[in-house]
Amino acid sequence: MPLARADLESLLRTRRLDRTLTTALPSIHPLDDAAVAATGITALDARLGGGFPRGQVSEVAGPRSSARASVMLQLLAAATRRGELTAIVDVLDMFDAASAAAAGVNLDRLLWIRGHVVVNPGLCRDLNQRALEQAVKALTLVLQAGNIGVVVFDAAEAPAMALKRLPFTTWLRLQRMIEGSQTVCVLVGPEPMARSSAGLTVRLTQGSGLNESSGLRAQGSGSGLFQRFDREARVIRAHAHEEAAVAFSTVAAHDVC
Amino acid sequence: MSADPRSPSPAPLYACLYLPPPAAASADSTLARIAADFSPRFELHRADLVAIDVSGLERLLGTARTIGAELRRTAAERGLRAHVAIASTRMAGVVLAQARPGITIVESGEEAAALASIDIGILERIADVAGAATSISAVSALKRWGVKTLGELAAIPAADLSARLGQPGLVWRAIAHGVDVRPLVPLLDDERFESSLELEWPIEGLEPLSFVLTRLLEPLSTRLERRDRGAAVLHLVLRLVTKDRVMRSLQLPAPIRDVRTLRTLALLDLETHPPGAAIDSVQIVIDPTPGRILQHTLFTRAQPTVEQLSTLLARLGALMGQDRVGAAALVDSYRPGAFAMRPFKTDHDDQRRNRSDRRETGVENSARSASSALNVDPAASALNVVAALRRCRQPVPARVAVDAGRPVRVTTDRMGFAGGAVLACAGPWRTSGDWWTGEAGGAATAGRAGHAGEAGRTGQARGAWDRDEWDVALHDGGVYRIFRDRARDAWFVDAIVD
Repeated sequence: MPLARADLESLLRTRRLDRTLTTALPSIHPLDDAAVAATGITALDARLGGGFPRGQVSEVAGPRSSARASVMLQLLAAATRRGELTAIVDVLDMFDAASAAAAGVNLDRLLWIRGHVVVNPGLCRDLNQRALEQAVKALTLVLQAGNIGVVVFDAAEAPAMALKRLPFTTWLRLQRMIEGSQTVCVLVGPEPMARSSAGLTVRLTQGSGLNESSGLRAQGSGSGLFQRFDREARVIRAHAHEEAAVAFSTVAAHDVC
Repeated sequence: MSADPRSPSPAPLYACLYLPPPAAASADSTLARIAADFSPRFELHRADLVAIDVSGLERLLGTARTIGAELRRTAAERGLRAHVAIASTRMAGVVLAQARPGITIVESGEEAAALASIDIGILERIADVAGAATSISAVSALKRWGVKTLGELAAIPAADLSARLGQPGLVWRAIAHGVDVRPLVPLLDDERFESSLELEWPIEGLEPLSFVLTRLLEPLSTRLERRDRGAAVLHLVLRLVTKDRVMRSLQLPAPIRDVRTLRTLALLDLETHPPGAAIDSVQIVIDPTPGRILQHTLFTRAQPTVEQLSTLLARLGALMGQDRVGAAALVDSYRPGAFAMRPFKTDHDDQRRNRSDRRETGVENSARSASSALNVDPAASALNVVAALRRCRQPVPARVAVDAGRPVRVTTDRMGFAGGAVLACAGPWRTSGDWWTGEAGGAATAGRAGHAGEAGRTGQARGAWDRDEWDVALHDGGVYRIFRDRARDAWFVDAIVD
C-alpha cells in the first residue's frame, strides 16, 4: 500500500530530514528583527518579507556585474549598523575594503577571511579545488563558533563547474549547523549552489542598462566613472515559483577609486 | 582547656618602625624584609615607615617591650637605626614612632594620653599615611587657631570641629585620640603562576600533550580565579629529548582563565610551530592581569565571547594563514585598492549600540516594513545602493583595441573572461602617486609573483603608479575597471563592477 503524503512527511520529520518540505519552513514575521536580517535595500526587503531569514542558508546568484557584491555589502552594512558581528569568506580574495566602507560597513565588525588563489588570481581560470574546500572549512569553523550575525561565502567569481564538484551534502551540513540560531548564512555565486538546502534564493540580473554620465566626468566631479546601474532581483523560495522581479539601482560611490 | 567564650578577645597589637633621616635609598626593601621576619601582615606606608601587626607574638617573644627590643636589634643588625613604637592601634604607633626616639610602649586604652603632648605639626608628616580624607589645610587652620598639641585637638568637641573643618577635621581628631581611621592593608607577595611536569616517558604528538596541558592548566586556572586574575600571556616551555628547549609565548587578546580555551590556543600554536622532537618536560608560566568585568544584558543580541572568538581566530589562522585572517582597514593613500589588514578585535562589548541607536533602527525597520505592507513604491526609497568593486589583487594583463582614444575591444588570455566589444565606456580618469619614493613600477610590479606576499599583507604594491582608468561595459555582460599603465603602455583589468 503506497504511503500517503502525510505519512511520508511524518516519517521525514521523525528522522529530521524534513528540511526540504515547503511546509516545514518557519513562518517569518516581517517586523521581527530576530527572525530576519534586513539588507537595507527597501525594495528587496519588501519582497523578502523583511530580509534574509535567520537560521537558514540563503543564496544570492547571478551573472557577473549583476550587483551581487553590492547586495552583499549592503547586507553586511545593515548588520554592522545593528551591532552584529559579521564575517566574509572571500574565496578568491577579491573583497574591496573601499567599496565596503562606502557602503557603510563597519570594518571593525567584519571578519575577513581571505582565500588562497593558487592558479590564476583575479579572473580565475581554474580554481584549485583544494582552495575551495579550504574555504568551505573556514566557513564551517565560523558557523560552528556561533553568534555571528551574518556570514557570507563569496564565491561569485569561482567557476561554476568547481562549485558543482562540491558534494551537495556540504550545504545540508551547514544548514543543519545554523538551524534555530540567529545566524544568516548567504552564499554568493554565479548560479544557485545549495540546491535543496537553501531557504531562499535571490537571483540577480542586469536591468535596463547603463547610464553613462560623461558630462559629469568632464566636469571632474566624483571619482566613479559610470554613475548608475539598474538591476533586477527575483526571489525564489524553496520549491516555490519564482516571484516577479523587483528593480533597484546601484550608484557609484564618490570615494571608491 | 577551651577558651572561655565570655572572656574578651585579646586587643590587637601593632609595632611601627620609623627610620629617621638620613635613611638609605634601598631601606624600604630592608624594612619590608624585617617586617616579614616578624609577621606576614604588615603595611609599608613609606620607604621609612612600616606598620606590623604583631598580635599574638607575645606568646613567642614575650612582652611588648621585648618585641620592640627585638625589632630594634634586628634593624641594627641590618644597618638601620630605627625608632619603634608599640600600641593597640596602628595610628598611635605611627605617630609615636615618628615623634619619639628609641622604643615607646603604650598600653591599651592609654593611646590618647600618650599622644596628648605631641606637637600638632606631626599631622603634616603623616597625611599620606592617614588617607585621602585628610587635608593639610585643616592642620594649618588648627595652628592658626592656636591649637598646639594633639591633646588640645582631641579636647575640641567633635560637632564644633565638624562644623568648621568638615570631615578632615574629624579624621584628625580621631588620630589625635589614637583611633585607627582605616584598617591595616597588608602587603601581598607577588604570586607566580607557574606549573611544570617532568615526564617519565617522552611524548610525541599533540594529542598526548593535550592531556598534560590540561593537567597543568587546571590548578593554575583555579588560582587565577581565586585572585580574580586572567592570563594575559601564556608561556609554554618544552624541553625535548634532544636537550633543546622550545619556548612559545601566546599574547592573549583578553584576560582568559578558561582551561579549554587556553589549551586549544596552545595546541593550535604548536600545530603551526611543531616542536620537532619528543617532549621530556612541560612548563607553563602565566603572566596574570586583572580579570574582566562583564555586564550581561537581556536586551541585546548574543555575541561570541572573547574565548570563542580567540579560538575561532586561532583555528582560522592555522587553516588559512595568520596573515589571511583579520579585519580590513583603509589606508591614507590614493592608490587604487589600497588596504591594510589588522587583527580582528575579540572584545566588542564597548561597541554595542546604545539605547538611542536601537530605538532609531527599530523605528526605521518599522517604517520600512509598514511601507512594504502598504505597497508603497519602492523606487521612492532615498537609500542609494553603492555599486561595489571586486578587486583583482594582481591586475590581469589585457589586450585593448583603441579607436579615437577610447577602448573599443578588450580581451585577455584568461579562460572565464570572454571579453569582447565595448558597448559603453567612461573615462579616462588619471591617477598617479608614489613617484616621489623613487621606485619605478606600478602594475607590472604588482603583477610579479614575488610581490604577491607583500601585496597580500598590506594591499599596497610597492612603487609608483601612473594610470588612466576606464569603466567599460563589454559584450559579455560584465562591467570592468581597466587601466592603462602609462609608464609601460600596457593595459590591465583591475576590478569588476558587481
